[in-house]
Amino acid sequence: MSPDRRKRSPFPWIRTIMAVGVVGALIVLGGQMLEHERRGGESPMTESGPRVPNAVFPTDTFAGKDIAQPINYSHKLHAGDLGINCLYCHTYARRSKVAGIPPTSKCMGCHTAVATADDKPEIAKLSAMWESGQSPAWNKVNDMPDFVHFSHERHLQKFLFDNPDMNIQDSREVCAMCHGDMVEVGVAKKMRPLTMGFCNTCHENNDGPADCTRCHK
Amino acid sequence: MPTKIDRRSFLKVLGLGGAGAALAGCDRPSYATLEEGEEQVFSYLAPEEYVVPGIGVWYASTCLQCPAGCGVHGRVREGRALKLEGNPDTALNKGKLCQMGQAALQTHYNPDRITKPRIGDQEVTWPEALAHIQSKSGGATAWLTGAISGHQAVLLDTHLHARDGGGKHYAVETVNAQAWQAACADTIGDARPELHIDKANSVLSFGADFLGTWISPVKFMADYGAFRSAPRGVLTVIEPAMTLSGANADHWVAARPGSEAAVALGVAYTLASEYGVSTSALPSGAADAIANMTPDRVMELSGVEAQTLSKIAATLMSNSPSLVIGDGRYETAAAAMALNMMLGNIGATITPGVDLVPADLAMRNGSTKALADFAADALAGRIDSVFITGANPAFTASGGLKIKDALANIPLKIGVSMFEDETTQLCDVVLPLASPLEDWGTHVPSSGAGRGEIHVQQPLMEKLHPETLGLGDILLGLAQDAGADGLADFEDYYGYLRTAVSALIGTDQETAWQAVLQAGKVQAPSGERAFTANGALNIQIADTQAPSAGQLTLITTARQGLYDGRHANLPWLQEAPDQISKAVWDSWAEIHPKTAAGLGLKDGDYITITSSAGAITTRVFLYKGVHPDAIAVPMGRGHTHYGRYATGIGVNPLSVLDGTQDVRTGEFLATASVRVQATGDNRHLVRLMDVDQQYGRKLAVTISADQHRRNQTNNQGSA
Ligand code: SF4
Repeated sequence: MSPDRRKRSPFPWIRTIMAVGVVGALIVLGGQMLEHERRGGESPMTESGPRVPNAVFPTDTFAGKDIAQPINYSHKLHAGDLGINCLYCHTYARRSKVAGIPPTSKCMGCHTAVATADDKPEIAKLSAMWESGQSPAWNKVNDMPDFVHFSHERHLQKFLFDNPDMNIQDSREVCAMCHGDMVEVGVAKKMRPLTMGFCNTCHENNDGPADCTRCHK
Repeated sequence: MPTKIDRRSFLKVLGLGGAGAALAGCDRPSYATLEEGEEQVFSYLAPEEYVVPGIGVWYASTCLQCPAGCGVHGRVREGRALKLEGNPDTALNKGKLCQMGQAALQTHYNPDRITKPRIGDQEVTWPEALAHIQSKSGGATAWLTGAISGHQAVLLDTHLHARDGGGKHYAVETVNAQAWQAACADTIGDARPELHIDKANSVLSFGADFLGTWISPVKFMADYGAFRSAPRGVLTVIEPAMTLSGANADHWVAARPGSEAAVALGVAYTLASEYGVSTSALPSGAADAIANMTPDRVMELSGVEAQTLSKIAATLMSNSPSLVIGDGRYETAAAAMALNMMLGNIGATITPGVDLVPADLAMRNGSTKALADFAADALAGRIDSVFITGANPAFTASGGLKIKDALANIPLKIGVSMFEDETTQLCDVVLPLASPLEDWGTHVPSSGAGRGEIHVQQPLMEKLHPETLGLGDILLGLAQDAGADGLADFEDYYGYLRTAVSALIGTDQETAWQAVLQAGKVQAPSGERAFTANGALNIQIADTQAPSAGQLTLITTARQGLYDGRHANLPWLQEAPDQISKAVWDSWAEIHPKTAAGLGLKDGDYITITSSAGAITTRVFLYKGVHPDAIAVPMGRGHTHYGRYATGIGVNPLSVLDGTQDVRTGEFLATASVRVQATGDNRHLVRLMDVDQQYGRKLAVTISADQHRRNQTNNQGSA
């Protein structure tokens, strides 16, 4: 008898997932990049902020700190140059209160085929973590206080999915309302204050709920 | 001249100031409080099926906070168990969970969990600990546990049988229903019949706190809800110190401690004399006991008047069917059962239970007699090694038992525990146990509700501490090492349980197993029991007179919350106001104001309560819901070694019980004759509700049950 005697492997189906994942990732991302090319690759952001029709977006800005991260991932490269949709990686945002960090398997879905550990030192870090079964310990950049209930799902629903004049491809515009345009930064940086005043102004301008218990519950 | 600000304008200023601050907040946000880079966020390595971060998933499992074994649903988010509720699909608790069940999260996340095995004071690895046990555990071994059932109990038996030296299992519970079960066995041949509070129109309880701690409180609470809806059932409670059930009664009667049986027989006498209810069908012995219990004799023994007996008899006669329950002493329960037989409740509100066909899964009820047997065997040198789990005998044993001497006489004591407590402190080896939210198991509800429905326990999350191990895994490993037949193929308890449950449901298909896990229960084959005729009933009435001058009778009471002390390390339950006194985080002694006046005591006075077995010092809480001859101290507090939240808080009244045993059941009586001495100190007892009246302010408007009934009758009359 020993405490580590376990019958069930934690990831019995991991090989299948990875195989399907690599093929799927390349197809989806290929499509996204082609679309990005077709639209000329330019940033759709306007001078004064994101282009979200039927919404008045907040203009407050915030000069966030540079926060060191375990891997020097680049939003600029992935979301900007390659034009990958925010919701491809932050896939939980449309289903949950949190946007979620993509599971490492999703990163590896591409990086076993393109820009692999062999030629990129940052990817080598990622691969090493993947091999050893560790998740990167990302330092939270946009952190709501524990007494605030914020739902990504609800906000995407209103400004993206239920918004008749929005294309899903342009989710970045909606994200930018609270996060700023992430293609401007390296890993991540806080670019909006996310204070109660900031939230309130937007709620007033866009007919959001005003009762305290909607956010403080 | 300084400006005078009264309370009202002060509040106005505050209001304006508050609004001002809020407006300023909107206008120019202060960024000072928001964090950047302070916390870390981890992603999944690979996404889990059906798991979306931020969205909770509910899994079914079983509550192990008391022997009732309610089914739970636990909400899990990001791999963490966050909230427990009752499983709505169980016949037992039907979606409800008591406060002790809710607090299971604090048992699980408790910072005082044991994380590594130890030998003496030395932390060791599992192989080292097991090798040590192996080398020292020749001869007779024993398991000392709490109430236990299901496949863990089967493996426990297997382990004991597989050993050359043989062994014995002692199931110990301080809060139990042994007296009631013995009386049921003696009268109807079924120790665990099903009780139907919901089908009764009146319930008469002699000290059985069915809403608080008795057998299966959550089930009884649900039944009680039905009992109280139209037509509203009438609850009468007779006991020396008010319990939660007593506090809910329409008619509450204080009886001298130990005299409940006399009152029950007095009610029977009144039923016979005033209503002509026959006693001829009762087991021999009972009719004589009733005939001898004249109202004068009842008055002498219990202080309960003849007119009270008449009122109770009238309630029972006019609200049929009734249900009479009683516990604490055998004669109380036996007299209660005699009443049930006279009133025709057998077969109506008391029906036969079922026997599980795999009989070895059945609940091993805990008792305090088992602890007495254990101590006797240990002192006689009949136990060479003992595994102790789910019990803390060094804390719960009656002071008169000298349990520490008994334990000292056992060469090898192995504590299998989540927490260091008074017992593990005396153990030679301690093995770290996984929490119930991390473990597998099957549990048979103690009430027999559900008629063969067994609750399945599954982990809600990965282990918090990797070196802990579930009880089933430990038992399986020990049984395998002892060479038990048929277990060699099982890699772990999960594998064993899955195979065993598949055998129970007759299929080993994955979908069937998943359905069991989803439901959190499995229906085991079971056979109906039948009531059998009974022989003689030996009701011995204790000669309970008013105690002599300077003496009081101590009663140790059990509360839903800290229970027998096992939950004292859970801050939620220390903080939850007591159901009777509303006190938090400390012990107290309930004394009737008249008695206190006689002794010159007032609220908050510290007193030393001394018996032949020991002494405790706590403070007085004046309360009319206790008999003037009694002093009641709830059990649960007074730990000397039970983690940061329990140690040094309050006193343990069990330590002053003198070890007197009930004649029929061998259970320790929860009473002792004590002297009370003021220490001279006085400090305010911290209570949620500091006064018992509203000073006419009508904060919560109430009317008495009598008044309510009168109003209803009047309304019906005028309609
Ligand atoms: S009665 Fe017992 S098993 Fe049921 S919820 Fe309460 S503590 Fe848990």
